Amino acid sequence: MRKIGVFICHCGINIAQNVDVEALTKYAATLPNVTVAENYKYMCSDNGARLIKDNIKKHALDIVVIAACSPRMHETFFRDLLTEGGANPYRLEIINIREQCSWVHQDKTTATDKAKALLRSGIAKAQYHEPLTPSHVAVIPEALVIGAGIAGIQASLDLANDGFKVHLVDQEPTIGGHMAQLDKTFPTLDCAACILTPKMAEVANHKNIELLTYSHLQSVEGSIGNYTIKITKKPRYIDTIKCTGCGDCATACRLKDRIPSEFNEHMGNRSATYMPFPQAVPLKYTIDPHKCLYLTKGKCGDEPLCKKACAQDAIQFDQQPETIERKVGTIIVATGYDLLDPTALYELGYHHQQDVITTLELERLISSSGPTKGEILRPSNKQPPKSVTFILCVGSRDETQCTWCCRIGCMTALKQIYLLREKLPDIEINLCYQDVRSYGKGYEEFYRKIRAVNTNLFRGRPSEIRPKGDALTMDVFDTTTNKLYEIKTDLAILVPAMVPRHNATELARLLRLTLSGDGFFLEAHPKLRPMDTFVAGVFIAGCCQGPKDIQDTVAQASGAASRAATILSKKELEIDPMIAWVDEDACTGCGICVDICPYDARTINEKNRIAEVNAALCTGCGGCVAACPSNASIHKNYTKKQLLNMVDNIM
Amino acid sequence: MNPHRYALFPGCLMPTEQYALELSVRATLPALGIELVDLPGLSCCGEPMKSVNQTLTLYLSARSLAIAEKNHLSFFAPCPQCHLALHETNIILQKNPAMMDRINDMLKAEDLHYTGTTKIVHTVDLLHDIIGLETIKKHVKHPLTGLKLVVHYGCQTIRPKELGRPDDSENPQKVEEILKTLGADPITDYPQKLDCCGAPLLPNKPETALTKTGQKLQAIQDLGAAGVVDLCPWCHKMLDSRQSKAGETVAAKLDLPVLYLTQLLGVAIGIDPTKLGLDLNLSPVHKLNLTGDKP
Repeated sequence: MRKIGVFICHCGINIAQNVDVEALTKYAATLPNVTVAENYKYMCSDNGARLIKDNIKKHALDIVVIAACSPRMHETFFRDLLTEGGANPYRLEIINIREQCSWVHQDKTTATDKAKALLRSGIAKAQYHEPLTPSHVAVIPEALVIGAGIAGIQASLDLANDGFKVHLVDQEPTIGGHMAQLDKTFPTLDCAACILTPKMAEVANHKNIELLTYSHLQSVEGSIGNYTIKITKKPRYIDTIKCTGCGDCATACRLKDRIPSEFNEHMGNRSATYMPFPQAVPLKYTIDPHKCLYLTKGKCGDEPLCKKACAQDAIQFDQQPETIERKVGTIIVATGYDLLDPTALYELGYHHQQDVITTLELERLISSSGPTKGEILRPSNKQPPKSVTFILCVGSRDETQCTWCCRIGCMTALKQIYLLREKLPDIEINLCYQDVRSYGKGYEEFYRKIRAVNTNLFRGRPSEIRPKGDALTMDVFDTTTNKLYEIKTDLAILVPAMVPRHNATELARLLRLTLSGDGFFLEAHPKLRPMDTFVAGVFIAGCCQGPKDIQDTVAQASGAASRAATILSKKELEIDPMIAWVDEDACTGCGICVDICPYDARTINEKNRIAEVNAALCTGCGGCVAACPSNASIHKNYTKKQLLNMVDNIM
Repeated sequence: MNPHRYALFPGCLMPTEQYALELSVRATLPALGIELVDLPGLSCCGEPMKSVNQTLTLYLSARSLAIAEKNHLSFFAPCPQCHLALHETNIILQKNPAMMDRINDMLKAEDLHYTGTTKIVHTVDLLHDIIGLETIKKHVKHPLTGLKLVVHYGCQTIRPKELGRPDDSENPQKVEEILKTLGADPITDYPQKLDCCGAPLLPNKPETALTKTGQKLQAIQDLGAAGVVDLCPWCHKMLDSRQSKAGETVAAKLDLPVLYLTQLLGVAIGIDPTKLGLDLNLSPVHKLNLTGDKP
């Protein structure tokens, strides 16, 4: 004889306004095996919790049914109450009468009837809940951080300083990400390099950080606490132990200054052997396998000049990719963002007008370590411009491209206006905007400062950019004055939308992460779990989750590190016992479950030819249960008997 | 049944004043294997009434669409404005069953009924996507070798983008590709390419309209183009018929041949030039020496 307690929540008026809670409670008391039925205004409050605990003790309940919100909200909390009251925590059934009942119905009678049906069926399932005991898995106290921009750097340093070993992977030859390309940061105008490079150096020298640059993730197996990662290190064709970073190879290269530099956003050139920028970490050269004459054509004059120039004999054209394996307990994804290619908006002329450039390209021109040593020169004639026009929201907040706000565009443009004014005090500067969103700390004050430095602000988007003589012209309708203006300018700066990394989908598949509609990684909860993902033990930080500025990125990175440390600091983790198990008498060893399992949790025991479940890998998805032709795969507390009983009772 | 059988939707301008368009369409397309059918009883496309009474526009378009549906034919509408009106009506009626019922109630009086199946093509997609550049190439007899032309697309051939138009709204290139197939050497992009011909402003602000026309033609002339290729009878009315007046308005001496795409196509595939209405163009088309006569 089982003793069931039913507890029904009003959720303030969320449930009570559309479901007659009193009637539901009376109805519950009439159902089989129900010993006690109670209702309370907020079951998740202290008083509600006490009500549940006291009733479990008083009536020696062994099964608890709670009719309230979705189990996603409070399942763990309610389970703990069962433990405290002396019942097995897995003999809990939560019936969702809020999201799936009161919120979606307006008629109280119908909603109450539906709540009764849901309750009836839930109790029918709960009758057969078995007591379960969780198993445990040891936690490997090491972390993998993917992406070494400011987010990845911050998260790695936080974890490393907490005493955990960190493996930091980046696909580029250097760490630093987009922030390394910036000259100054808004709104304080800190020099980006001055605040970033010390952190980069700290990463390189930290005893707890293993830096894996020019590498990419090959595969990820396992689950929280125990992931096995394969990483492929691309060949640099240079022995990084011998290389001193002197640069003689780049100077000697036959293709010197003939390959557009990615780091400089194609505003300057590099050699086939290159280091992206002088403060690169690690301070090692790399040979570009897609450009190097010797690697692409097998011949570079009589001999490769780099090899001749290198006093250390570090050039090794026979290097091969190397795959290494690491075991970690958690993973932090910090892969950052891409900028929208403005050629998508043909009318703005980015691909056919040399003097239409992006903010990141201008950033490289402004930077004193950039290709022009900080001189602002028009790409077409290498002369300083007399007039510069910024165009905000290129592709952002635009139904045809990206519906979202990039959150950095306004402030980036305002910052660049400030920097341009310092360098070219007498030029005309125009800004075409939709709205200026200066929302952060000190941002509005910065915006006011720019308004005062002789900037023409037009509230409108130019319809197109056309060449006129050797300049550019655009029409913009200013909605603050209701006038159409024609702007003639020498240099147009587009502020492109922020878009997900081009390979985000690929990485999502590798890590089984979910993407939100915009293509960025989806957080587990937008307010309460912004660094978590739906994969236990995998966290996200920075712009891979959505557009944000450096301040927010660093804050989120530290948050993600802290979330990861919560796991890494435990010796072992409990494994949810509500997973699959195998009825050995029924199993024929056919192996269908092995093929169907997406988590590699199923194997066939070679000795007795019977399927086994790896509890650490099984997520309880139920795929094997549906696929098993002999009914041998069973999901604990989701048995066929329980589910059929539910169906019988709801019909 | 011949899959290349289309009902010709004449609209208003083509049968009343832009005869060159009608002549060239009727002469060239059959030579490329298109059978054109004249359906009795077609009316106005409805577009001119859209800003005053949208239901009337839908009714007029649907009426013609229903006649085509009854005859199991697709429409070929050489006028971009007619093409847009018919196409948009199709989209609105498919999305709004209540409006479809209302229009069908009105069509009952003439014993007509529309279900939404009539397809509509325009010169650009018919030539570029349906007949195809390969087939056109096979028909070329007198290639327009080296002819430096520019294309004026007008507005409705490419916009509104959301409704799906024969070519891209910002960087249309299909006509240029057709001209290249004919052997010509078109200027694929120029700053004023998408500028308005001025026609929509003509009834209310004729000065402004002619200024737009004049400025565009002058810019094209300054580019050194040999001629302009257009598609729309409204545009042609401005760029060709009113060219001298537009020149006076902007104080420029304009002397630029303007032709319909179908006229040039006809010349290239060897249609007798007298059947293409070239003598009806008011701009100096003789400068292109298309008829082969010695100047």
